[in-house]
Amino acid sequence: MTPLITLKGVNKHYGDYHALRDIDLEIGEGEFFSLLGPSGCGKTTLLRTIAGFESVSNGLVTIGGKDMAGVPANLRPTNMVFQSYAIFPHLSVAENVAFGLRKRSDLDTKAKQTLVEDALDMVGLDGYGKRAAHALSGGQRQRVALARALILKPKVLLLDEPLSALDKKMREQMQVELMRLQRHVGITFILVTHDQEEALVMSDRIAVMFEGRIGQLADAETLYRRPRNRQVADFIGKMNFLDVVVRSSNDPVDLEISGLGRVTISPDQVPEPVTIGKAIVGIRPETLSLLFDGETTDLRLIDGVVDEVVYYGDMTYYDVRVQGVEKPLNIAMKNVIGRPVLDVGAATRVVWDERSLVLLN
Amino acid sequence: MSLRVYAIAYLIFLYAPIALLPIFAFNDATIIAFPLSGGTTKWFGELMTNRALHTAVGNSLFIAVMTSILSTLLGVCAARAGAMYRFPMKAGIMGFIMLPLVLPEIIVAVSLLVVVVQILDLGLSNWTIIAAHVLICTPFSIAILNGAFQNLDPSMEEAAMDLGESRFSAFRLVTLPLVMPGIIASMLIAFTISLDEFIIAFFLSGSSPTMPVYIWGLLRFPQSLPVVMALGTILVALSILLLTIAEILRRRGMARVGVKDKGGFL
Repeated sequence: MTPLITLKGVNKHYGDYHALRDIDLEIGEGEFFSLLGPSGCGKTTLLRTIAGFESVSNGLVTIGGKDMAGVPANLRPTNMVFQSYAIFPHLSVAENVAFGLRKRSDLDTKAKQTLVEDALDMVGLDGYGKRAAHALSGGQRQRVALARALILKPKVLLLDEPLSALDKKMREQMQVELMRLQRHVGITFILVTHDQEEALVMSDRIAVMFEGRIGQLADAETLYRRPRNRQVADFIGKMNFLDVVVRSSNDPVDLEISGLGRVTISPDQVPEPVTIGKAIVGIRPETLSLLFDGETTDLRLIDGVVDEVVYYGDMTYYDVRVQGVEKPLNIAMKNVIGRPVLDVGAATRVVWDERSLVLLN
Repeated sequence: MSLRVYAIAYLIFLYAPIALLPIFAFNDATIIAFPLSGGTTKWFGELMTNRALHTAVGNSLFIAVMTSILSTLLGVCAARAGAMYRFPMKAGIMGFIMLPLVLPEIIVAVSLLVVVVQILDLGLSNWTIIAAHVLICTPFSIAILNGAFQNLDPSMEEAAMDLGESRFSAFRLVTLPLVMPGIIASMLIAFTISLDEFIIAFFLSGSSPTMPVYIWGLLRFPQSLPVVMALGTILVALSILLLTIAEILRRRGMARVGVKDKGGFL
């Protein structure tokens, strides 16, 4: 990976508020990179720091090897799609898209017109040029914002929660379109989002942020299967947490899980070094299952009682109380033919596999 | 029903006196009383030849134009800062700027007279009135422009800068066209307030009075009252024309950016 953007020891203070703490980051050329975190974690501040709307209190930001200190937003090789899209309401769609070309004196009107048409074509808005910008729908506004930013052929496209204003269907459609668009133009996309699913679906790599720090930086699968700590595990997807006593942290790792018993796991399932003593294991709901009548398994089984049933159509989520486990286990079951939906209070057996555990501090 | 009667009575009470202006402006008698004694345009003719009146109107127009420009300029700065930035003591500072809105004008007039003459040792002129009028008009400008700026998405200017424009040209190309209806409304209100302001102008005018001060002086001479009526008629016609133009411009601006019309200053 050739790093295009480098951040070294970046800090940002607003008075007493420490918005960014010692951020070290390299983002590659052509990468789809996401900044993920709850609101107030500093992800938008970090994006605006790269865009040039915020200065850093200390630390270094470089884009394409050039130090960006003191370089204002209008002179940076970045363009941004704002959360509100910031479409200029007094201009037409074509005028909005052509806005960034105002300073390009090397292009004549004809050439600019062609560029605008190409940009609108790219985002699927061909023929919309003459429309008034304020008469567009949310999805169309976003496409205009994308065309307006991409027409300048930036090295980096910054997207600040671009899908948050859209409804669920539109959001899923735009996720796919954004990925396709990124492959098509081949430039670096940096996406800010609080939606973990959005980040997992779209990104090559994801930085999960909490309180101004990067909690974990990894690809989607690693983040999901091997979260570094409880905070990350809790934020990404659903996770059951169980108390555990570590007997041996060598290979194999020897654990005593409360309620489930003694097992050994591979060091591969321990993302961060742990010490002998108390710790936590995480198990994803979909790696657990219930054993229905007539089914058999070679895996481990434990008895439980159904505490709660949430039916989603394609899936049913069960909370199953197991003796010795503090909280009911959340279990996701696919609804396949012949498999009944259990009632609350039903006795059942939970199938589990120590290979799906992750050991956390 | 009774509300409708009340509303109509209210409007009559409010506007009937103004309707008297044109009636007596065209009445062929020096005494302002019914019955009317035939039509004439001689009072308007007299307006045309009265040099002192021309000077007074000239003073007032100059002062009103300068006041509307300056107070709107200050209003734009304050409203933009208030809507887009956070800074320490913001609420206190904004409150302090709005204070002249509730300050009695006579107090402002007297204290400014003391400051200008005693402390600064300056002569009284149109400029001293302009300064005082800017002081009392700026809060109105800010109040009007606050509305315009608060409707504005703060990312608009940033988007323009992101697309290569400098801070100033981003303001000029994006913010300015979007708040233009507010700017026009602010200039108009400041112009109107300044044009008919009497107390401050009375205290602070130099050797050459403004129009309201001149009219007040005329009241001692009953024979010149019909001339005042004629002048008033012209002013009313002019005001209606100006406000109509401003409202048309405002509506056009609203339609252009597709904002739902929430009622303007009219």
